[in-house]
Amino acid sequence: MSKPLIEVHNLVTHYGETLILDRVSCAVHPGEIFVIIGGSGCGKTTLLRHMCGLLQATSGSIVYKDRDLTLLDEDELATLQRTIGIAFQSSGLFNSMTVGDNVALPIREYGNVDERLIDSIVRMKLSFVGLGDSGHLMPSELSGGMRKRAGLARAIALDPPLVYFDEPSAGLDPIMAAGLDELILDMRDLLGLTFVIVTHELDSIRKVADRIMMLDRGQAIFTGTVTEAENSDVPRVRQLFERRPDEFIAQRNF
Amino acid sequence: MSELRVACPDTLDHESGRTLWENVYQRDVSRNTTLVVDFSATERMDSLGGAWLVKIAEHVGKRKAVLKLVGQSGQVAELLDMVEPALQPASSRSKARAGFLETLGERTLSVLEESRDFAELCVDAVYWTIIAPLEGRGFRWNILIDEIHEMGVRAIKIVCLMNFLLGLIIAMLMAKQSEAYGISIFVADIVMIGFARELAAIMTAVVVSARTGAAIAAEIATMKVQEEIDALRGMGLNVNQFLVAPKLLALLLVLPCLVALGIVSGVAGGALWGIAVLGFQPSIWFTQTLNSAYTEDLVQGFLKTIIFALGIVLIGCHNGFRVSGGSRGVGLMTTRAVVMDIFMLITCDIVFAAVFYYILG
Repeated sequence: MSKPLIEVHNLVTHYGETLILDRVSCAVHPGEIFVIIGGSGCGKTTLLRHMCGLLQATSGSIVYKDRDLTLLDEDELATLQRTIGIAFQSSGLFNSMTVGDNVALPIREYGNVDERLIDSIVRMKLSFVGLGDSGHLMPSELSGGMRKRAGLARAIALDPPLVYFDEPSAGLDPIMAAGLDELILDMRDLLGLTFVIVTHELDSIRKVADRIMMLDRGQAIFTGTVTEAENSDVPRVRQLFERRPDEFIAQRNF
Repeated sequence: MSELRVACPDTLDHESGRTLWENVYQRDVSRNTTLVVDFSATERMDSLGGAWLVKIAEHVGKRKAVLKLVGQSGQVAELLDMVEPALQPASSRSKARAGFLETLGERTLSVLEESRDFAELCVDAVYWTIIAPLEGRGFRWNILIDEIHEMGVRAIKIVCLMNFLLGLIIAMLMAKQSEAYGISIFVADIVMIGFARELAAIMTAVVVSARTGAAIAAEIATMKVQEEIDALRGMGLNVNQFLVAPKLLALLLVLPCLVALGIVSGVAGGALWGIAVLGFQPSIWFTQTLNSAYTEDLVQGFLKTIIFALGIVLIGCHNGFRVSGGSRGVGLMTTRAVVMDIFMLITCDIVFAAVFYYILG
């Protein structure tokens, strides 16, 4: 098996006193679509934020490009972060700029490309996500799904090898969600990107995931392929794939 | 109908893409030309290469020529399919420039519309603050206490300090002027009359509009952006009753108190200079001060605070409700609220000065 692109070892994190992630380990290989699943509040988004150095861990390490993200200083971290594209749950677009300028921002700052080319790159990236003609609009003029796609376009602006996508299909209609799944597969195949996706949409997991990691109460309770997950003995995994509810929702409050 | 053929190199990346574009740029591409890009030799391309292709398509589109891609296969073909929408000529959305009259009309209408909104807000807010509680339609008294604490109690220190320093400044300047005529004791009168009529009210209102006015605008604007206002409306709650009325009543109660403290601090500031530097006996200075404290001055000084309090809260709320867009909109509206507050303060003050000293006095 090829060398992992990014590896997490025994990551432990707290928000204040609360334990959020408890000794989580995983490895993402190049060209893979790695999906992190789990119920609400299980630490999925937190893990993703750690994997791009936005949060400070209590203990454990995250190795990316032979460097441990938890030990780097700010400048080195920033350099590495430029090679990771992040599409946030609520898009994270800058409200004060047009969609086109949002996508152009990282290219202008770090892209090292011909200034004349920036408009074309922006137009192309926006066309990838189906927003070719929306570059002049402000983020507030977009619908939720369009914002999500614009956020993805900005995430891939610098052609990063690794892209994180937080809840790609949340709040999208099924047609749009399916389109986004296709888009993720196309980008992986054609541009050679590696994706780490946080989601809990079963359909989209079945369609795009190469491997799945399931988190439950801060612990990684399952890692493997979709088929393995569907035949897994772990009760929580079975429950998620069969969409069975908890007996009492209140029991899950911890 | 002429045809131009260019061959794409085996790898289409940033460098070779630029070469290809320069190649096309130098050729004579004009109307009725078909530019054929041959991809039969191309095995790899990346997204920067694709971007140069978009640039070529733009150039070709401007010259009203036609772009044709031929010979692509495998992965390159699939990638070209993804780039395809960006190769189409951009739909032209040329905005017609508005003429002078149109701009004038638009401005006028927007000012009228804003005035109407503001008038509605004023009427509604006053109703929910004063009339509705008397009719027994409810008032959020517990929120009122919080607001009084936030707007009033927590502002005491800064208000006192500002007025104290202003009193000191006035006494310093006036002492220098009056020294030559030997009437230094009248500095006490000047400080007292000045603070009672004008300075305490204005200084306090400026501090409060920077503190509270900005906070109100930012709070309501953020609530609007995050759909909290819609949530309130959806629950059938009246926004003016729920948000505006407690703030309005709180500031109406608090601002006169702050101004009273402002007068005392200002006079204390003047006294510090008078006693410590000019060397007057404290008893003489305070007798002089109290003798120049006229009821009429104090009454009109406090009357202003009612107008100021109304203005600060309503302007803050009005600008908060007008927000559009996200974080940037919140910043713009907060700025606008404070600017309008200060403008309102000075304008109202002119009206008061004119009415009380020239028309009535």
